[in-house]
Amino acid sequence: MKKWLPIASGLATGLLAATVFFADFSPGNPGQAVADNSKNKTNAEKVYVPFGEKDEYYLFASGGHSGQMFIYGVPSMRHIRTVPVFSPDSATGYGFDKHSKEMMGGFTWGDLHHPAFSETDGDYDGKYMFATDVGNSRAAVMNLETFTVKDIIDVPNTSGPHCAAFVTENTEYMFLPTRFAVPIGREYAPLDDYSEKYRGVMSAVTFDEKNEKLNIAYQVALPPWSYDLSDAGKKVSKDWAVMTTYNTEEATTNLEINASQADRDFIVLFNWKELEQMVKDGQYDEVTGQKMIFPEKHKGGMYLVPVAKSPHGVDVTPDGKHFIASGKLAPAMTVFSFEKAFKAIENKEFAGERNGIPIIKYESVMEKEVNPENALGPLHTQFDDQGMAYTTMFISSEIVKWDPKTGETLDRVPVQYSPGHSVAAEGDTVAPDGKYLIALNKIAKDSYLSVGPSHPESMQLIDLRGDKMEVIQSAPVNPEPHYAQMIKADKIKTITVYPKDEKDPDAVYSQEETRIERKGNEVHVYGIAMRSKFIFDAKAERPDQIEVKKGDKVFIHLTNIDFDQDITHGFAINGYDLNIEVQPGQTNTVEFTADKAGTFPIYCTNFCSALHQEMTGYFLVKP
Amino acid sequence: MAGKKLSILSSGLIAAAAALIAASLFFPWWGMEFFAPQYPEGLNIIVYPDKLEGEIDIVNGLNHYIGMKGFSEENFPEFTYLKYLIGGLALLTMITAILRRKTVLYFLIGLFSIGGLLGIWDLRRWLHDFGTDLSPTAPIKVDPFVPPIIGENTLANFITNSYLGTGSFLVLAAFILILIPLWKDR
Repeated sequence: MKKWLPIASGLATGLLAATVFFADFSPGNPGQAVADNSKNKTNAEKVYVPFGEKDEYYLFASGGHSGQMFIYGVPSMRHIRTVPVFSPDSATGYGFDKHSKEMMGGFTWGDLHHPAFSETDGDYDGKYMFATDVGNSRAAVMNLETFTVKDIIDVPNTSGPHCAAFVTENTEYMFLPTRFAVPIGREYAPLDDYSEKYRGVMSAVTFDEKNEKLNIAYQVALPPWSYDLSDAGKKVSKDWAVMTTYNTEEATTNLEINASQADRDFIVLFNWKELEQMVKDGQYDEVTGQKMIFPEKHKGGMYLVPVAKSPHGVDVTPDGKHFIASGKLAPAMTVFSFEKAFKAIENKEFAGERNGIPIIKYESVMEKEVNPENALGPLHTQFDDQGMAYTTMFISSEIVKWDPKTGETLDRVPVQYSPGHSVAAEGDTVAPDGKYLIALNKIAKDSYLSVGPSHPESMQLIDLRGDKMEVIQSAPVNPEPHYAQMIKADKIKTITVYPKDEKDPDAVYSQEETRIERKGNEVHVYGIAMRSKFIFDAKAERPDQIEVKKGDKVFIHLTNIDFDQDITHGFAINGYDLNIEVQPGQTNTVEFTADKAGTFPIYCTNFCSALHQEMTGYFLVKP
Repeated sequence: MAGKKLSILSSGLIAAAAALIAASLFFPWWGMEFFAPQYPEGLNIIVYPDKLEGEIDIVNGLNHYIGMKGFSEENFPEFTYLKYLIGGLALLTMITAILRRKTVLYFLIGLFSIGGLLGIWDLRRWLHDFGTDLSPTAPIKVDPFVPPIIGENTLANFITNSYLGTGSFLVLAAFILILIPLWKDR
């Protein structure tokens, strides 16, 4: 008997170990799906939007290094449109026509991080969407009547505006602080001079709605740290904004280790009204053509708040009274009070300063530290209509719901996997809707049909309406969602056709007015596209032919005179690397040099009617 | 008999008819609505005495596939004088109401009837003209057709519905109003 005992127990232990290590407990296993059939059905009903009906929300999800914006419908999670912003897109001719090509400024890609809606009184007004490019330091604005980008600006002195864009309560400004510190003007300076010569410049960008133009109002030469996330204040804190920063160690190499040493980094708290006034009072230096505030020289308006090491997200509560920061490497959320901060500033409760910026005492501004058990990697926080907070836990792959007033953990739901941001319905406004939250997951292995070693990323829709949070839908997404914004669909008022613009000298609205004009070596074509033909010169023997000489500069102005919704025409020259789009009623221009002689067919790229295939012409270039 | 004047009531009815005819100038007289799977919201041709309304450009764009001539206000000389004819009729009706003479009323009714019949004949002529004079080089060949003045017609993937507009009904009502005195003052 005694002999058998070790053998039996050994076998049992082996079996247990094998089960523990090799059995498949993954939630995606089919046996479980069958068991959950009724739950799946209920969830399906919650997200199903029958054909003919429309979603309740638009989701604008940043497309990361695709340079695009992905538009989804919620709750169906159907992908509706991809809007190119920083990268060319042949599907829409973006980056080929004159206006978008000029906006691209010679760049071929961008890293679109944070979309932000224009706001009125702290609520989305559905007019514009802003976005920033970490890849090439730019800012863009998209018109939401047409879902097209109207302006892109380069932001000088900045390298990677990661923390942007977050707009102030009435879209007065959006702030673009830099992720990578560089010398002013990106001049050469050895990394040994990092602390003296490098700066983390923040730009205050304004938007002129009438002319649809972005502009830089002023910049602030912040210390050479990495600025990560920011949020504008609301209501009582409306003149203020907050942003997190790491690498206050000012490390210049192996940041993984060297920027993770200090126990505390900072939140930069600033009063943009005061900075605006300083600029008005001439308290700035003029560098690289920008009005630059140097905090060590031009005092005021900026403070540092100590925060747990390497913070990532910082979010202002809907009532504007608090801001919540999460330490990426310190597993806790900290609730700070704006009112306490204002008092501390008034009473000068400072614990020294860094680079001329006063540091507010941590105890004077901290309200509570919240640390849900075993929740790791808190990143970003969104809010519901009750003021409850939802924080993504990157490392423990879950969303934690908690009460910012009491610090009590209310609910937790696992997501697959590694949520970076999350977005609640209008969750960063003064009046969040509650209802839905979407986890923007960085990793989605095993969730969808395999497409090889690199899996799609995923977005998971979480129902906030019940007592418990519930994941009710999951959608694969192209690389890579960073942040997203969710807006009530009825706030967006799109147009169906472009109105006639009689003042546009490039537009021709009737066939008879079409013409080809030559000025020296410039050829100007004023043509129309209509179902199912191009007419470049109605009086010519072949109205759908353009003939030029090699070396001519060619300007093709094309107007779509089908004032009928969804009748979009494309214009491509076969073999000439050109493709533009004219939406109903729109006039668009392509400008290029005919540097190749030969015969090049022209065709309509955007399916327009039964005779779309016949909508062609010829571009002849005489040698 | 001829010397007997129409009653005040009859005169009032005729005056009301004059007002209705004048009012009809500001309403559509006839229309046609087109439906197709890709146009579930419908396309319209709305005809006023002096202008066209509706999605004329879109209808023209589609009609060119079957080689139909384009609709435009310039194509219909009626638009230049129809409003004067109708205005004139309203004026004559008003004069009839003021004169209160039966013979004048007979004349007016006669004029009205002839005018109405001419109008219907003209509309039918146009419908025939547009539906049968199709370009021989059109990309899509269809048999010549004549849409009805009132009612449904199917052409390719389009279901068309022609109908009388408010203006026509006003004039019809005016006609009834001027017929009433015939019976009242018999």
